[in-house]
Amino acid sequence: MLEESLLGRSREGRPRHATSLLEEVEKAAAAAGGWDAVDLIAVGLGPGSFTGLRVGIATARGLGVSRGIPATGVCTLDAVAAGISEAGADGRRLAVLDGFRGEVFAALYETDGSRTWDPFVCRPAELAARVAELDSPPAVAGSGAVRFRDELARNGVRIADDADPVHRVAARHVCALAAASRGGEARPGLAPIYLRPPDAERWRERDAVPRSE
Amino acid sequence: MILAIETSCDDTCAAVLDGARILSNVISSQAQAHEGFGGVVPEVAARHHLELVEPVVEAALGEAGATLGDVEAIAVTAGPGLIGALLVGVSTAKAIAAARRLPLIPVDHLQGHVAANFLEPEPLEPPFLCLIASGGHTLLAGVEGHAGYELLGQTLDDAAGEAFDKTARLLGLGYPGGPLVQKEAEGGDPEAFEMPVAMQRDPGLDFSFSGLKTAVLYRCRDLGEDALIMWLD
Ligand SMILES: [Zn+2]
Repeated sequence: MLEESLLGRSREGRPRHATSLLEEVEKAAAAAGGWDAVDLIAVGLGPGSFTGLRVGIATARGLGVSRGIPATGVCTLDAVAAGISEAGADGRRLAVLDGFRGEVFAALYETDGSRTWDPFVCRPAELAARVAELDSPPAVAGSGAVRFRDELARNGVRIADDADPVHRVAARHVCALAAASRGGEARPGLAPIYLRPPDAERWRERDAVPRSE
Repeated sequence: MILAIETSCDDTCAAVLDGARILSNVISSQAQAHEGFGGVVPEVAARHHLELVEPVVEAALGEAGATLGDVEAIAVTAGPGLIGALLVGVSTAKAIAAARRLPLIPVDHLQGHVAANFLEPEPLEPPFLCLIASGGHTLLAGVEGHAGYELLGQTLDDAAGEAFDKTARLLGLGYPGGPLVQKEAEGGDPEAFEMPVAMQRDPGLDFSFSGLKTAVLYRCRDLGEDALIMWLD
C-alpha cells in the first residue's frame, strides 16, 4: 500500500535536492515499514527549478527500476491546489509557484479539483490581470503567491500568511494524487513539466561572433 | 561487476565492466541536438540526459547479459562537467546504489579519461604520458600508477576542442567542430594563411588556444563573408 509518509517530511527553507533527497526518502520508507511496504513511487514533475526536477525524477526512476516498483509523476501545481483544498478553501483555487526570473508558474482549479487553466508561465502582473477577470476571486497559495503577494493580493484575492504551510509543496499531496490517478488509463509518465524552453536563444546571442562588418 | 554511468557533457553513457573486461559500453550522443548552437547548450544537454539515462543503463545491462542483481558497485562521473548534466547521472547512480545497497564510486572526470587507457582493446600499463584533449579540457598527465596522475601542463585559456568548435562555427561548418575542421583542412593548402602557434618559447608544458581562435576570427573578418564562402567551396 502506498504510505502517506513516503517523501512526506518537509524540510526547512530551500530544499537541497542533490544532497538530502535520498536520505529523506530512506527515512520516509523506513517510517512506512520498509521498502517492502512501498508499492508506488510518486514524484513531483514540476513546474519548478529545472535542476531540482531532474534530480527528483532521476532519483524516482532509479529507485523504481532498482526495486521493481512503478514510479509515477504528479504536476506540482496540482499538489499545491490539493493543499489549498485541504486548508479548507471554498471557491476556486489558484496554485502559484515562483517561476524565477520575475515570473510565476500557475494553474487554476475548480472546487472539485478539475483544472480550468492548465499550467502556464507568465509575469505576476499578467496573472493578476487574468485573475481580475474571474467572476469571483480564488484562494491563492504557493511560493509564487508569497513572493509576489503585492502584485496578486488585490480585488479580494486571499493569500495566507507567508509562514502558512499551505504555501509549501507537500509530498503527501503528491502521493495522494498519484495514488488517486493510479486506476486511470492514462499514466502520467515521468516527463518533467518545464513550461519554458532551454535558454538556447540567449546562449546563441551571447556566443554569436560577428562574421563581417 | 561494475555498472558505470557518465553524463558530464553531451553524451549519455553507461557501461558494465567485469574487472578490466568491458562487457558493454553504450553511448547515446546528443551531438545532433546541439548542432544548431555551435557548442553544447547545458540546459539542452541536461534535458536529453534525463530522457536517455534510463534506456542507456538498461541497454548496457542488456548487452552485458547482466541484471542489477549481478552488479556489485555503481560508478559515476562526479565532475568536473556541466553541473545540470552531471546531476542527472549522479542522481540516477545514487538512487540505484541506495536501492540495491551497493557501494557508489564517484569518479573524477579526468581520472576517468586516464583510466580508460587501462582497459581493452590495448591496455596500457603505467608509467605513461596521457594527453587529454576535449571540448572542456586540454591537459597533459603523467601517469605513474592506477590511482591518480600528475598534472604536467594544461591550457591556460580555451580547451583545444572549444577552439575547434568556435572555428567551425565561424566558418559555418557545423558541430562538433573537430572532425569538420579536420576534413576541410586535409584538402586545404597549409601555406595559405599564417596562424600563430602560442607559447613556443615558454618554459613548461602548458598550452594556449585563445590566440589562435582570435586569429581565425580576425582573418575571417578581413576576408569578409563572400570570400569565406568561396574559399570553402
Ligand atoms: Zn571528458
